[in-house]
Amino acid sequence: MISRRLFLAAAALGALAAAPLEAQVTINVVTAGDQNMVDYITDFLAPQFEKLNPGVRVRASGTGPGDAGSQKIYEKLAAQQKAGTQSWDVDVAVVHQKMAGTMVQEKLLAAYRNAIETGKLVTRDTAKRALGADVDGYVLPMFHSQTALAYNPAMVSTPPKTYDELVAWVKANPKKFGYNGIKGGMSGVAFVVGWIYAYGGMTEKLLAGPYDSNAKNAWNPSLASLKEFNKNVTLTPGNAGTLDALNRGEIAMGPVWVDMFYTWVADGKLPPTLKLQILGPGMPGQPMYYVIPAKAAQAEVAKKFVAFATSPQIQAEGIVKRFNWYPGIDAEHVKPQLDEKTWSKLFSDVTPKDLSEKGKPFPLGSYFTDILEAYERKVAN
Amino acid sequence: MSEPQAASRAPARDAGGAAPGLLLLAPALLTVVAFFLYPLGYSLAGAFRAADGAWTLANFAKSFELYSRDIVFTVAIIGLSTLLIALFSVAIGGYLTLGENRTAVAILRWLYRWPLFIPFIVAGQLMRAFLARNGMLNNALMAMDVLDPADAQSFLDWRGIVIAFVWKQTPFVALLVAGAMATLDRSTIEAARNLGAGRLRILVEIVVPQVRTTLVVGLVLSFVTMMSVLSVPLMINAQSPTMITVDMAFRINAYGDYGVANALGFLSCALTGAVAWIYLRHGIRERSRQ
Amino acid sequence: MKIGWVVRGILLGALAVAVFGPLVNMLLWAVAERWYFPAKLPIEYGFTYWERVFRPRGNAMESLFNSVVIAGGTVALCLALALPAGYALARLRLPLRSLILLAFLLPQAVPNLAVYINVARIFYSLGLNGTIVGVVLIHTVHGLLFAVWITTAAFAAVDRELEHAARNMGAGPLRTFFTVTLPLAAPGILASAIFVFLESLDEFTGTYFVGVPDVTTLPLLLYNASAGGNYQIASITALILLVPSIGFMLFVERFLRADVLAKMGG
Repeated sequence: MISRRLFLAAAALGALAAAPLEAQVTINVVTAGDQNMVDYITDFLAPQFEKLNPGVRVRASGTGPGDAGSQKIYEKLAAQQKAGTQSWDVDVAVVHQKMAGTMVQEKLLAAYRNAIETGKLVTRDTAKRALGADVDGYVLPMFHSQTALAYNPAMVSTPPKTYDELVAWVKANPKKFGYNGIKGGMSGVAFVVGWIYAYGGMTEKLLAGPYDSNAKNAWNPSLASLKEFNKNVTLTPGNAGTLDALNRGEIAMGPVWVDMFYTWVADGKLPPTLKLQILGPGMPGQPMYYVIPAKAAQAEVAKKFVAFATSPQIQAEGIVKRFNWYPGIDAEHVKPQLDEKTWSKLFSDVTPKDLSEKGKPFPLGSYFTDILEAYERKVAN
Repeated sequence: MSEPQAASRAPARDAGGAAPGLLLLAPALLTVVAFFLYPLGYSLAGAFRAADGAWTLANFAKSFELYSRDIVFTVAIIGLSTLLIALFSVAIGGYLTLGENRTAVAILRWLYRWPLFIPFIVAGQLMRAFLARNGMLNNALMAMDVLDPADAQSFLDWRGIVIAFVWKQTPFVALLVAGAMATLDRSTIEAARNLGAGRLRILVEIVVPQVRTTLVVGLVLSFVTMMSVLSVPLMINAQSPTMITVDMAFRINAYGDYGVANALGFLSCALTGAVAWIYLRHGIRERSRQ
Repeated sequence: MKIGWVVRGILLGALAVAVFGPLVNMLLWAVAERWYFPAKLPIEYGFTYWERVFRPRGNAMESLFNSVVIAGGTVALCLALALPAGYALARLRLPLRSLILLAFLLPQAVPNLAVYINVARIFYSLGLNGTIVGVVLIHTVHGLLFAVWITTAAFAAVDRELEHAARNMGAGPLRTFFTVTLPLAAPGILASAIFVFLESLDEFTGTYFVGVPDVTTLPLLLYNASAGGNYQIASITALILLVPSIGFMLFVERFLRADVLAKMGG
């Protein structure tokens, strides 16, 4: 009796253990950014991709928001490169612009864009250059994000349209505007960069170069006025900190990432009455990139995955409809896949005209570093 | 007769020399050396190298130029937090040991431990919501009419960081101290009570000196932990002045500047090492005096 | 007596507010669907986010299981290494004792962001990446700080007179250790076990560098959610992690209380 039961139990266990032993290929997708990026891959991309490619499993992991998250991906790849590992444990990564430039420089990435069909669907400059670094062929934008000023119409009757108007408003309403300086989140960094675009007087040079290490001396007056400006603002701890303060009504306005903003509204953490506005002359935005590490274990499947994720239909369904983000590939390929209502929802606050006029890239890498250091020295000290 | 006998036995046990001690110590030490001290050495050495690999002190110069205020700030915050933790944990441990009302002691024992189970990053997040200008604390005080809305202030600066650290670390030290107090011989306490000494006096003059080792160990460990936490200052107050962990993270993530980040790490290490060293030497001197 | 209870009530009440005030926020966010200004309490309650956390593809149960196994393994390995080390440092004559104790302290003193790239390299070259053993090792390295320092203090606090008394009565060194020294040092040792367990559940940087993508733990999800301001998911995950934490502490307490009572009661 006992031995028979034992035998059956052992057989059952054996069957269970043997069951999932089909030939399975697993690709590892590691993404920087918020948890919703991981969820996007796990809940939306993976099931569809797995259905189209039976025998493949997609495993997603997140590294956290901001450049810190991209930094962690870079460090993992660099560690494997230094250790001489032959096949790396990351097949697809989603990173920010700055890190993509560094990764290309250190030969951590594979040039794959020209090998897949969707590679032709993106002609924007952001697919070729990342903060001045040449990344052509190594990256495909997943989506484009833009910073804008979020404001509460109930507390702000006439939202400022330019930086000048903002300065005046903040003087009249002290502590009701908040941003995070340059530490803790890129929304604050974007605001500061926008300030330099507005008052630094050399926007073209900052965007296109050439790099002049003496340029930073010309920023002293604008940095001094920023220091003055900061006396009347609430400094928040980071991207989430600014949104948090908006959530509690401690501030009426603050710079935010458009995608983060829409996600917070969808999650019920911000009142749906809040609106967005890009300050003139411009505020920066940046894409996030799909990249494939140089020694990815499953490079072929990885390419298929990126091709799938950047196909017009997926960009329309996933990026635009689900998240309200600006597509990574050129808009003209994505628009026909959506109805008029969904497409215009994307531009309800920030019109395409606004975007093309006032949506700017971040400056060249070296200028970017100079701006941050100048802020640390002249404004924060 | 028994004293010299005992004395002669003790050195006999220790006379095995360092060998058995080192043998017992080896596995733990090797683990730490191989998997952390060795890579740590690499990083700290990186503090002395410039971007092109040449040996230089430029990273330290830059650290002091940009972050000297933050360094002082870090030491001040952690020092203050450690002091407060010491006070509160001795108070809690003392009441658990000397308290006379069984219900109150039971409630305290159940109550004080909860923050122990909350990870630092969650503690930072909770404090941000609790201590903000429109946060729960102010809302509650306003609801009770104790606070006027116009006077509400945000604690999200150095005070928030201190509060978060004290909130999270006090149960840790209190648990250690209470455990040590519980194993004390109660006869000295009873004797003092019989002589009419007040409980506070007993706590300060009899109990605390006997658990001093455990208390200081708990404080040193708390000091070290607080030095290395990034999530709390990042979530509560990332602006200047802030803790040097935030500056380290910023250097790495914004500039890719491992040189200055490692220099700051080196300073953090040196500060903590100095504090711990003082404790250790003091402890050794105490022991040899006994 | 009544006055006594007024004072006790106020003090305990203040402590309760200090301890639970921030925690209330966590509990509210765990069940909040919509919550923003000017509402002081959530506008809409619901369990949508629990469904999100526990959805099958989300692997929450597997992550939780991994986290608990790793934490348990870390405690076991830490104690195995720290007990002999703590005894040696407390009792036996060792050269460079202070320096050795410092060696255990320093790993925790440095914000370890800059170090992990080098740690990861070592683990990759040893092939320990992506394994549970690797993650347990990295957690152990951090846990050893608590384990070694606390057990050293615990053993140092045991009165040598009691050990001498046992030896005088004819007990051998090993028997003395197990019947006299260890039970007296037990509260400290078990406290360090609790801390190592909790530290392991709080650890995400090391787990990311050594474990991801093969080993996923719940603290990783917690970190991403919290840093990104996803309060609902962060609060739910923190609540879930409370279960093994408190469970472990109760388990250790039961062990401790019985032991201590046995020794004190006679």
